[in-house]
Amino acid sequence: MCAVADLAAANRPQKWAKVLDQSRCIGCHACTTACKSENEVPLSVTRTYVKSVEVGAWPSTQRAFQVTRCNQCDDAPCVTACPTSAMFQRADGIVDFDKRICIGCKACIAACPYDAIFINPEDHSAEKCNFCTHRLEVGLEPACVVVCPVEAIFVGDMLDPSSKVAQVVNREPVTVRRPEKETNPKVFYKEAHQTTLDPIAARRPEGDNFMWSEQARGPQSVNSGHPAGWSNSSAAALLSYDVRHEAPWDWRVSLYTWTKGIAAGVYLVALLLLFTGTGDGPLFRWAAPVLGAAFLAITGALLVWDLEHPERFYLIFTRPQWRSWLVRGAVVISAYGAVLAVHLLAGVSGSQTLQKILVIPGLPLAAMTSVYTAYLFAQSKGRDLWQSPLLPPHLLVQSLLAGAAALLLVAPVVEPGAAEPIAYVVAGSALGHLLMLWGEVTLVHVTAHAHLAQWSLVAGDFKGFFWAGVILVAVAVAAPVMGVFAAPFALAGLLAHEHAYVQAAQTVPLA
Amino acid sequence: MSRRPSLDELAVRVSAAHDEVVARGETFYPGPSRVHLAAFPPTQRWDDWIELDSRSWPERVERRYMLVPTTCFNCESACGLLAYVDKETLEVRKFEGNPEHPGSRGRNCAKGPATLNQITDPDRILHPLKRAGERGEGKWVQVSWDEALDDLAARIRTAITQQRHNEVMYHVGRPGEDGFTERVLATWGVDGHNSHTNVCSSGARAGYHFWTGIDRPSPDHANAKVIFLISAHLEAGHYFNPHAQRIVEARAAGAKLIVVDTRLSNTASHADHWISPHPGSEAAINLSIANYLIQNDLYDRDFVRRWWNWPEYLASEHGGIEPSFGSFEKILKELYSGFSFEFAAEESGVSAGTLEEIAKIVAQAGTRLATHSWRSAAAGNLGGWQVSRTLFLLNALLGAIATEGGTHPNAWNKFVPKPIYSPPHPGTWNELTWPLEYPLALNEMSFLLPHFLKEGRGRLEVYFTRVYNPVWTNPDGFSWIEALTDERLIGLHVALTPTWSETAFFADYVLPMGHSSERHDVHSYEQYDGQWVGFRQPVIRAARGRSGEHFTDTRETNPGEVWEENEFWIELSWRIDPDGRLGIRKYYESMEHPGEKLSVDEYYGYMFEHSVPGLPEAAAAKNLTPLEYMRRFGAFEISKKVGRVFDQEVPARELDDAATGDFGRVFTRAAPPESTNVVPMGAPEPDSEGRRPVGVEVDGKVLRGFPTPSGRLEFWSKTLADWGWREHALPGYIRSHVHPAKLAEDQMVLISTFRLPVHIHTRSANAKWLDEIAHTNPLWIHPADAVRLAVRAGDLVRVATETGFYVVKAWVTEGIRPGVVACSHHMGRWKLGDQGQGQMMASVTLDGDGKDGDWSMKRTKGVGPYNSSDPDTQRIWWTDVGVHQNLTFAVQPDPISGQHCWHQAVEVSKAAEHDQLGDISVDAGKSRQVYRRWLELTRRADLHSPNHTRRPIWMMRPLKPAKEAFSIPEQHS
Repeated sequence: MCAVADLAAANRPQKWAKVLDQSRCIGCHACTTACKSENEVPLSVTRTYVKSVEVGAWPSTQRAFQVTRCNQCDDAPCVTACPTSAMFQRADGIVDFDKRICIGCKACIAACPYDAIFINPEDHSAEKCNFCTHRLEVGLEPACVVVCPVEAIFVGDMLDPSSKVAQVVNREPVTVRRPEKETNPKVFYKEAHQTTLDPIAARRPEGDNFMWSEQARGPQSVNSGHPAGWSNSSAAALLSYDVRHEAPWDWRVSLYTWTKGIAAGVYLVALLLLFTGTGDGPLFRWAAPVLGAAFLAITGALLVWDLEHPERFYLIFTRPQWRSWLVRGAVVISAYGAVLAVHLLAGVSGSQTLQKILVIPGLPLAAMTSVYTAYLFAQSKGRDLWQSPLLPPHLLVQSLLAGAAALLLVAPVVEPGAAEPIAYVVAGSALGHLLMLWGEVTLVHVTAHAHLAQWSLVAGDFKGFFWAGVILVAVAVAAPVMGVFAAPFALAGLLAHEHAYVQAAQTVPLA
Repeated sequence: MSRRPSLDELAVRVSAAHDEVVARGETFYPGPSRVHLAAFPPTQRWDDWIELDSRSWPERVERRYMLVPTTCFNCESACGLLAYVDKETLEVRKFEGNPEHPGSRGRNCAKGPATLNQITDPDRILHPLKRAGERGEGKWVQVSWDEALDDLAARIRTAITQQRHNEVMYHVGRPGEDGFTERVLATWGVDGHNSHTNVCSSGARAGYHFWTGIDRPSPDHANAKVIFLISAHLEAGHYFNPHAQRIVEARAAGAKLIVVDTRLSNTASHADHWISPHPGSEAAINLSIANYLIQNDLYDRDFVRRWWNWPEYLASEHGGIEPSFGSFEKILKELYSGFSFEFAAEESGVSAGTLEEIAKIVAQAGTRLATHSWRSAAAGNLGGWQVSRTLFLLNALLGAIATEGGTHPNAWNKFVPKPIYSPPHPGTWNELTWPLEYPLALNEMSFLLPHFLKEGRGRLEVYFTRVYNPVWTNPDGFSWIEALTDERLIGLHVALTPTWSETAFFADYVLPMGHSSERHDVHSYEQYDGQWVGFRQPVIRAARGRSGEHFTDTRETNPGEVWEENEFWIELSWRIDPDGRLGIRKYYESMEHPGEKLSVDEYYGYMFEHSVPGLPEAAAAKNLTPLEYMRRFGAFEISKKVGRVFDQEVPARELDDAATGDFGRVFTRAAPPESTNVVPMGAPEPDSEGRRPVGVEVDGKVLRGFPTPSGRLEFWSKTLADWGWREHALPGYIRSHVHPAKLAEDQMVLISTFRLPVHIHTRSANAKWLDEIAHTNPLWIHPADAVRLAVRAGDLVRVATETGFYVVKAWVTEGIRPGVVACSHHMGRWKLGDQGQGQMMASVTLDGDGKDGDWSMKRTKGVGPYNSSDPDTQRIWWTDVGVHQNLTFAVQPDPISGQHCWHQAVEVSKAAEHDQLGDISVDAGKSRQVYRRWLELTRRADLHSPNHTRRPIWMMRPLKPAKEAFSIPEQHS
């Protein structure tokens, strides 16, 4: 497909790769400005930059550089996560993007284990390094390759063993960033230092500046380097230059997990009551579906609001990329919403039988609505905290707690008889939630990143939200005693927990 | 939008890939990837190159460009640029490197692409402005070029006709061109050239000049076995990008890199051996290595015997001894025996073992030792000029001079083409720039100008600052403000600049001049063993010229009313001498059409036709005129592998009526061979009978030698000995003004001269991409010092100099020697509160005044987002721009080289309670005391000149006056 390759090359498969030779890099930042120029990248965002770390103790010190950018993964999490194929992989291996169909959901940013993707403030679409494909197509090397004073950057076809890239990759000591993420990067580093490759190996400097620039600040800022006490390297290493990074998913996503939990939970709890014979009264017939539909609507509104291109929301359905859990989730939510709508219509037409038949699709759809977010989060390959096998059941337990608490609020009015069993559901699910949290905070996570996120959750930036969540939910365990008064504690506690959990996972620097 | 082409169509039409390009018979430019992809479009397509729009991708939207070469105007490296001129909008879309440039070879540093920011800078000055209120008040009215030119011309004409030649001065930052403006001043007959060099490189220049008669080194890094830098050439300096390319190449081929720098530069970081000495001890280190070579007979004895001026030294200093090389070697061993590794270790704080290790590496280099010292220690210390001199001693010992992989004197790797007219040397001498106190200063005593003016040594009627910002760049900026605001001292201040600066705020006229893609210049710099000329040109003018349009005035194609200096000087000179009676106009008349104004096309057309060897032939081969060739390719390589010029035999035809003087210096009456290379170098004087020096007799042959009085490498400088500095006539070690013995117990040394790789002094502040990368200058401080001072990273610290203090943030780092602090001079741009809108990206607003010489400034506003024609200014996320430390430095001129000695002895403390970031306080009275104290170190020409001249005539000097002007007038004697 590459129109420019010589004829022989055009007829065989290609795999474009790049070598960043840190043994030559002089830290001049020419690649940064050449890229800004070639790709008209605005201030505040970068497709490529040169991170630096001071290693050692005087007079045995070095400044280690790392040209930092998209890794052109062969198994690119951003492509998998993108709901519309705006991020896509070309036949020649290059991960490219199409801004015309980007809805701005930031799933690719959340998915990227290298924090290499950003939203362009001019056009509000996701972008990153794409090897200057528009240049490759006219037979030119990428802009950074051409500008580099010391020829530290070069590209080539890995499948062509005579190419310089293949020779270096095959014959010299190269490495990639974070191979444990199973992304198979095609950007190889020659002689890069461990303290730059690992984003948390170097110490984040005190104060608010680096060697000659300010550190980023702002609610969603993520600074590279480890906070005090979180060293991931026995080498003395101090981060001396980095650019702004931002956590992609803000409070709206935290809130969405909460509203969606309620939306799924109310129906699930109503079904629990139905199956345990406690009742098929107005709670099942009206309250649960009304609450479910309402919170589902809020959920949808939050999701759309969080898009950089809300007007392109429909593309999720018109050009779905089925591996994306955003697409799968949208379908699940839509189907669940449809069930709730029919359930309510049936209620209007007085058809209780239909309502009960609807339980057959309704139950799995509500459960999937609750649980799919675990898969959506897990698709964010860089966020180790979210790669937890316990997350699906935990989300289900949270949904039950949220749903039960919401129903508990209305039960005294709608169906007073159900209040007590619901209170027990609240108590039970609150206990279950706390038990799972206990596992979360006491078990040492296997990766340093998950460990750091866990620290951020329980002892770092989000400890306030986290412990408020724990205490409030703990209070709700007394629901059988407190009755309806336990419900606000449970709901507020869950909301605090969702926020802490969603945000803490994103505090770990990836680049 | 153009019709969407099919893929096949596109491939045939626009590909730069190897097979397609070769099939079309066009130029393929291979890139670092060594694949079918090209680094640049083939030259044959530079008139109409189709690229795909990056923002529209993956939609294939075609853009048509004309590719026009020019030269970067940021640092002194003068790297080639290739402007992509959009054929539809006639705007520059981007700048890439120029693959036809032999120095930069198509590559650039961060500042090359950022040239685009400078030409689209929303704060740039687009029209001539004249001040409306008091000088420095910040009120301006737009005026016409005619009004400004007429005013200037009348004043200059009056000054010249009233014999007040010395009241016209042109003060240039980095010229970025070879000789045009110097010749303008010569045509006016004024000695009015002033440069920035004495705050920059004259320390290093002096060291090289005393050795070779040439004031710059040209290390052949690419072929070196050992590279020894007392500088940071992988990130800054003369010549950053071209040298970095070649140093990295050499390292890949196995060369060892030794870097001496107290601070961990990017260069030091790459070094195989990083030496972080006490500042000022560098010469001691060099001498300990030299001593190791000498004591162990590891030097090239034959080279030393043939090329050093040891016979002259023995005759002058050891009269009683038999003048044999053997005697000299014995004395040489004695001379340097004190410079043991232990001594150097004591001075430098670097272990003797480490020094021995690097000495052994140097010893193995043979003739492939590339050394370079520039600014850095040579610009930091009293006696800093001995740093480059002792460094070059290593080359001189190993014979690694002008060898493959050695260090070449720059004049042989540089080609300055002779222009259409060569005016005579001016007949005046300006004591404001060349005072009697500094007869050996390599360059103008520029940074003392305010003191000289205030002392009543003279006044200026018209003072041009050209892309130069002394208020900010020079030490003691408040004295500059005091001088610039005093209309009795400076009648008219004209700032020629593309952008606002601290100095332009104190101008009477601000005249907008073009950036690198908006002006004409030629230049040639020593970046490897070869010679080239580069051409800077207004790219829109050139692009439209290719399309058949004809322009005689660059303003027609520049933004607003922005002009270029070449045309400005031609026009101004005509107006100074409209009828030609002053003898000025004739230098600005067309040769082709007498009586008409000289155009830049004719000026450069003549130069390229007549003065650049090989260019007319190369152009003809491409069916172009030489000027068309340069407009199309931007640079031309004249020669490669120039080699050991000094070792070439002088042909017999040049030895007519030759006579051999003292110590083998050979003089001739034969006319010099025709050369169109007017590169500056030392000009040794004729013999008593008027024969010109032509060579030097070595082992019975007459060889070219060096442009020194002796014709040899001047190990011993008769000049220094004769002019009162006999104790420093040999390469030696002068204890710096910041030597530990001279520091009080609580004092540290401040290194203030280091550059950041992405900035360039005062020029790059409005380049948004560069500002985003680097925008502040915290004080580097070692963790041990930080603990001692109870300072943590990010805390405010107060740095007290002799004359004041500034408040800055701390950066606690293992990249600096304990006891030393460092602060980059690149940051801290400011404007006074009432000075308008300019320079928004990188400037803070200060509030301050200087009643009774007590100056203090407080920051009232940081940077932040603002509205402009560029949406990016709303995205400025940084708030700090660093602190302007130079204001707190008094002048510290080296009594010999004239270089300002930048290092400061400072007290560093945790900031006081009410200190705020950016606070600056200076007592200008103390500044004057420091000035007088350093002035007392000098040895005046009128007391020490051996021949009653102001300065050794043979030494290099910008805009060298006629010989008569060198005589010290009677009133001084």
